[in-house]
Amino acid sequence: MPLLRDIKGFFPPFWVTFRNMFRKPVTVQYPEQMPELPERYRARLVLTRDPDGEERCVACHLCSGACPVDCISMQAAEAEDGRRYASWFRINFARCIFCGLCTEACPTLAIQVTSDFEISKRDPLKLVYEKDDLLVDHCGHNDEYSFYRQAGIGVAAPRGTNPSESAPVDVKDLLP
Amino acid sequence: MPTLTIDNQQVTVPDGTTVLEAAEQLGIVIPHFCYHKALGAVGACRMCAVTVVEGTFKGLKMSCLVKAEEGMVVTTDDQQSVEFRARVSEWLMLNHPHDCPVCDEGGECQLQEMTIASGHGLRRYTGKKRTYNNQQLGPFIAQEMNRCIQCYRCVRTYKDYCGGKDFGVMGSRNRVFFGRFKDGTLESDFSGNIVDACPTGVFTDKTYRFKSRYWDLQEAPSICPHCSLGCSTVPGGRYGELQRVRSSVNEKVNGFFICDRGRFGSSYVNHPERPRQATRGSWKLTVDEALQQLDVKARELINQHGPESVLLLGSNRASLETNWLLQRWAEEIGCRAPLLSAHLPRHQAAQVAAFDLADRLCSLEKVRQSDLVVAIGADPLAEAPMLGVALRQAVRSGGKVKVFDPRPVELPCDFEKQTVSPTELLDLLDGTSVESKQLVDLLRGAERPVLVAGGLMLGAGGMLRLKKIAAAASNDQRNCLVHPLLGGANSFGAALLSLPEQDDLLTRLESERIKMLVCVETDPLLEAPDNERFAKALSLLEELVVLDYLPTPLSVHANLFIPTTAPVESEGTFINNEGRQQLFAPVIKPRLPISVTGEGNHPPREFIDVAPGSDPIPSWQLFQQLLGEATDLPTLREKMKTAVPRLIDFETLQPGGVSCRVAHVDERCIYTDEIPAAPEESLQLVVTPARYGSDLLSRYSAKLQPRFTEACVQLHPQDAAARGLQDGAKVVLDTVEGPFNLTLKCNDKMAIGCALVENGPKFQQLVPGGKLSFCKVHAGMSHG
Repeated sequence: MPLLRDIKGFFPPFWVTFRNMFRKPVTVQYPEQMPELPERYRARLVLTRDPDGEERCVACHLCSGACPVDCISMQAAEAEDGRRYASWFRINFARCIFCGLCTEACPTLAIQVTSDFEISKRDPLKLVYEKDDLLVDHCGHNDEYSFYRQAGIGVAAPRGTNPSESAPVDVKDLLP
Repeated sequence: MPTLTIDNQQVTVPDGTTVLEAAEQLGIVIPHFCYHKALGAVGACRMCAVTVVEGTFKGLKMSCLVKAEEGMVVTTDDQQSVEFRARVSEWLMLNHPHDCPVCDEGGECQLQEMTIASGHGLRRYTGKKRTYNNQQLGPFIAQEMNRCIQCYRCVRTYKDYCGGKDFGVMGSRNRVFFGRFKDGTLESDFSGNIVDACPTGVFTDKTYRFKSRYWDLQEAPSICPHCSLGCSTVPGGRYGELQRVRSSVNEKVNGFFICDRGRFGSSYVNHPERPRQATRGSWKLTVDEALQQLDVKARELINQHGPESVLLLGSNRASLETNWLLQRWAEEIGCRAPLLSAHLPRHQAAQVAAFDLADRLCSLEKVRQSDLVVAIGADPLAEAPMLGVALRQAVRSGGKVKVFDPRPVELPCDFEKQTVSPTELLDLLDGTSVESKQLVDLLRGAERPVLVAGGLMLGAGGMLRLKKIAAAASNDQRNCLVHPLLGGANSFGAALLSLPEQDDLLTRLESERIKMLVCVETDPLLEAPDNERFAKALSLLEELVVLDYLPTPLSVHANLFIPTTAPVESEGTFINNEGRQQLFAPVIKPRLPISVTGEGNHPPREFIDVAPGSDPIPSWQLFQQLLGEATDLPTLREKMKTAVPRLIDFETLQPGGVSCRVAHVDERCIYTDEIPAAPEESLQLVVTPARYGSDLLSRYSAKLQPRFTEACVQLHPQDAAARGLQDGAKVVLDTVEGPFNLTLKCNDKMAIGCALVENGPKFQQLVPGGKLSFCKVHAGMSHG
């Protein structure tokens, strides 16, 4: 009896609609209304600076090595004071899957995730971010750590003056 | 041959093998730092601890120092050994800085690997870390002493193995320091090896500083193209740029190390002026168009003017495949057989090595094991640097080295030097003189004698004389072996392919019958004797075609230029000086490096199908296209093997392998050497390759520039005094090739009656390896 079944099936959808008409709406009116994201939300990546205001990134290639989709590329260079830095640094956000493995690999806390997820563009090339687009003017999640102060080589401070280092040895000294 | 048990696996090893080496044979890796196969063990790092359960000395032992014994039982993974090694790892890290992210060794660091393997992660000790001040060690090596773990590998490599004198260990207790007595460039020609030997990042390659990580590098086994020894290397490149070369292992050839020329001489691949575009004059062409034009023009000229009108020129830089296909293309278009070298005397010397001496050739390994090496007309550090290290190994194991040469030869070992002029060298080898008989007697007295024959100095005639000496010194029990030094990486290969008699390139060019010259990866302006005459002869040509990957002066003169790939960008075969047929694999693809296209900044932001500058294709592929064949390399090699039966079956070879020597033949070369009469008051002209920049590849390497030496003419002080000349004076060197203005340098270690000039980047006009010639040296300015 298909007719009877069709008639029976006609009413329940109206009932469902009617029942929900008086409920509080759940839709967020984005972009008029911005969603509140958890603090550890993983979205656009940034390159932070250390407390002295220097670039934290030392272009060690660990983020690009950890990246499962190969969206990070860079070239390291040496500054006059011996500091290793990225002469260019590129993240292709069209390829990035926001897994955050790069931030876990980063030994200097340079690359960090932010909660800015609004990075859709019409032109995929505009999703290729260069170092200037990535570098921010703050320390990000950690405002204390400075890699070069811990590294044990004389870049941030002369050799032997960093915390927990003794002064350079005199190799011609024969005292016991 | 004791049989021992390691981790419940039995292995039988030769007497004297250590437990560590025995475990290696079973595939059990015992962590270690100070042990190195070439350097031996010193027991300095304490990392290779194992427990000896059964044996003369039971308990925890250093496996690199304990010799294998019959019935020995060893465990490597018991709790005691594992804990001990973990503690060793922890204490080695006590002073190690926290700088792996900015260390070039990161990713290929043995210390990193061992620390992670032993599970050490957190520094429990809260005391202060020891620091050092670093030294400036010159353009090649960067030092960061804070990272040192005192394994002594650097000093054992530099000083003990390679014979460097200006590097050592200083200090006491935990202040031990590895470096020079004061800042300065490392003098040894093998300094780069401490980069490979250092298990952590104390010594790193300065020319590769902060360029790439190990895991990002494209690497492949290759053959060093800088001299005829054919050392095994692993070049590494990234982003279209060849960034470094490290040594690879071939125990028959270089062993574990390479020289600085090979290590730092690779940047010719990235030369900023390297031609990457086919051109006719100022017109840009595609490679296909250029090949078409080459083919049409060659056939047209042969039809019009006969087979003599087209001359093809191969080279010792080009691979065996290229030279062979060049010969086949010559047959196809009907011109005369190509010359495979622009430098006839060098080529003839190589032919003597490839044919006459073929049954006496020996590898560098045999040189290292020899008890008497007599080097005749050879300056190893200039012609084949790793031979110098091999000679040192011979001396270290009790052998003797004797050198007969007009040049002030230096070697990294003790040796006896007899300074003789080039004509005296030929007298020495004639078999009748007193010195000659003494030499034969000396060789007869040795158990494993090796004659090193300097092909450049001796020439074909001298090499043939040397063969007689070698025959006279051989007996039923053992052969007197010969280790020849030739002109280039594939000199032997080019010699093996070509017919024993040939005319000179110049005489043929000057005959005016030649309308078209095709130079394949060679520049006679820099590589042939009498290059001024050659330059004049070029104007007689109707068409000059150059196929090359270097920005040589000849490519400027070329009517048609076709770019080819460097050895690191293509597959191929080189045959080294002792006839070892070695394959090399492609490392990077030819293209403009990203550092160039991006001008140092980030790479260009555009989508393109083809990388800029990726036109060059391997020269053997060019000739395959000309021949209308599109076979792959294995098929081509199979054909080549059938045509040239002396070659080893290519299927048995692989890049980076030990490889085999080509078969020897009964064919003989017939060359005579005439000693020209010396004009009045003349000196014998000796042209020697400079240690750096004599071969074209290192001349075009920017990295080696700090090592290039100034041009000068050297005389014995006695000769200088006889001419009233003083050290440092401006003099004129009058040769058959013209006069040259040079600075005089007096050197009492060279032969009397000789004038010595170095061919290098600063003086390119005279090329080593010519026939005996005479010159005059006088003060004042020349008219020309």
